[in-house]
Amino acid sequence: MKVIPAIDIIDGKCVRLTEGDFSRKSIYQQTPLSAAKKFMEAGADFLHIIDLDGAKEGRPINDEYTLEIIRKTGIRVQTGGGIRSFEQAEKLLSGGVARIILSTSALTKPKMLRDLIKKFGTGRIIVSVDVRDGQVALKGWLKYSKKPLSIFLKELKRIGITTIIFTDISRDGRLSGPNLPLIKKIMASGLQIIVAGGVTKMSDLQALNKLGIESVIIGKALYEKTIDLREAISKFSSKNGLAKRIIPCLDTKNGRVVKGLNFVKLRDAGDPVELGRFYSDAGADELVFLDIMASYEERKTLRKLVENIAQNINIPFTVGGGIRSIDDIRALLKAGADKVSLGTAAVKNPRLVATAAKKFGSQCIVISVDAKKTGQGWNVFIRGGRDDTGIDAIEFSRKMEALGAGELLVNSLDRDGTKSGYDLELLRSISLSVNIPVIASSGAGKKKDFLDGFKFGLVDAILAASVFHFGEIKIENLKKYLAKNDLTIRI
Amino acid sequence: MIQIIDYNAGNLKSVENALGLLRADFRIVKSGDDLDLNQKTIFPGVGAAGAAMRELKKRGFTRKIPQIKAPFLGICLGMQLLFEKSEEDKTKCLGIIKGEVEKFRGSLKIPQIGWNQVKSTKDPLFRSIAKDDFFYFVHSYYAATVEKFVIGTTDYGVPFTSAVRYKNFYGLQFHPEKSGSCGAKILANFCRL
Repeated sequence: MKVIPAIDIIDGKCVRLTEGDFSRKSIYQQTPLSAAKKFMEAGADFLHIIDLDGAKEGRPINDEYTLEIIRKTGIRVQTGGGIRSFEQAEKLLSGGVARIILSTSALTKPKMLRDLIKKFGTGRIIVSVDVRDGQVALKGWLKYSKKPLSIFLKELKRIGITTIIFTDISRDGRLSGPNLPLIKKIMASGLQIIVAGGVTKMSDLQALNKLGIESVIIGKALYEKTIDLREAISKFSSKNGLAKRIIPCLDTKNGRVVKGLNFVKLRDAGDPVELGRFYSDAGADELVFLDIMASYEERKTLRKLVENIAQNINIPFTVGGGIRSIDDIRALLKAGADKVSLGTAAVKNPRLVATAAKKFGSQCIVISVDAKKTGQGWNVFIRGGRDDTGIDAIEFSRKMEALGAGELLVNSLDRDGTKSGYDLELLRSISLSVNIPVIASSGAGKKKDFLDGFKFGLVDAILAASVFHFGEIKIENLKKYLAKNDLTIRI
Repeated sequence: MIQIIDYNAGNLKSVENALGLLRADFRIVKSGDDLDLNQKTIFPGVGAAGAAMRELKKRGFTRKIPQIKAPFLGICLGMQLLFEKSEEDKTKCLGIIKGEVEKFRGSLKIPQIGWNQVKSTKDPLFRSIAKDDFFYFVHSYYAATVEKFVIGTTDYGVPFTSAVRYKNFYGLQFHPEKSGSCGAKILANFCRL
């Protein structure tokens, strides 16, 4: 069970209301950012931020404070309060908010809900169901809907909502404990529930954890110190020992390792088999072997080379470049590759992704997303970054996941070869929109770029080539540095 | 000599390569008739449970495997198939070890892909493996079994069984053949059993 601390904002300050009543508020003397940092120190990795002015006015008012927290700390955030239009929701979601919380608007604008789910995925749109005496509250808890709760929940499910925040207003801020019988009743609807309101003591958390609740939001109990956040998180948060991965990439041409500088000028950095063994010994978590010219010269990746590498290293190994058919994939997997990466072929022939995932398993299908900033968002490019497909990179990523891709390798064409750091906005947007691992590629110049990729880009793995090949960054040192900065790293 | 069961389910080559690096002798067995019940066996596997069980049946493995007397090592899907049933494709499995295979739920990414730690018992399979050693996992399902058979656990949202042993039958949820030097140690330990 995830324990999520709450920050409620009025006029740029942290506050707590009692029973949603604006006249009964406690103002706490800290900025939202300093509250966020304090919660993170206690172990929080997710925040619940409510713009109370926004909820009252019917449009986001304090959203800049939320976006500032994300920009400065990288933490995952769910936020709500006054989000009524598609544009307001889109601004927050594109700004790096993990999930937006809708309430009143969900009832009156089902089309907007559907559009948001279509663009960002159901996991990023949650609806806050605020209830007092069985009635659903509207407009910052100042009015009530005539619709019964059960009908309201059914409608949400039909639209495609999978997660709700359930708040019992009569308990909120009263420190009187959650309404367990009602929560049980809502759980029976099949929706994932985040419980808010009334969580006061560790024993409340214990009871919710026993019910199998996904997440619980704690507000006043933290400010009033009836629950210690650190203790609650360490006791109830699920543990995850999965390490962040570092992946050297061996770009090859004619059997030799090269590194493309914006995919144009080629430099030669050595023998792939030798380098593969060297990296495996140095602590690389995986290897990627890309024949970068294959797609341009219509050439198949050299199977023999794959065999040699596979015989000499015993860590996972991905092969890409020029793969077009099920037969190509079968040949490479048979030669010893653990995964194959598809780029151009996945764009031109998405059915290949579905067929391959079904035949060989999602775990061995990596989709390479070559993205470049175009206006507001990013488009997918093919043929080694030469052709703009006009396809939105985030939509493409979600489509690939739906077809059965096991991982996404996201390559920023704007950053490739520049050593100016990863495109964190692109990475974060994609990472938050899919539920499969995301590997960042292109842009690493220094160790901090890797840390930022994990912390702000929220990626699961990072791939780099030249900084490793030319010894500018040593994998051992990089991993020590990342571990020192609180990431789980295999050393 | 180690026999490797070939039932068309993925990473046979990786297991061969890993044994090759250890200079261990092995042979590939493509049908149940060819199985030596007194020979050490590795049962690899990547893919879906339903198709795998169908293929095992077709090749005459399903009745033979439970009779093997020598140390036996199921890897990943090969471990999952040792249990009674799997939620994946609602499959009835080999039923050698008590337990069921379930899908990960919750907010973490599925599949789990990458390196994770194994809290292991003092089983000889884990000889000279340290508490903080990492192993490579790729899976969406995990086994829920009886505690006395668990020889290793790992945290991924829930603590799950990452290594199991029942008599001569071992199962590893991770891939020792892809887990670098730590994985090689485990395979070497298996060769010495």
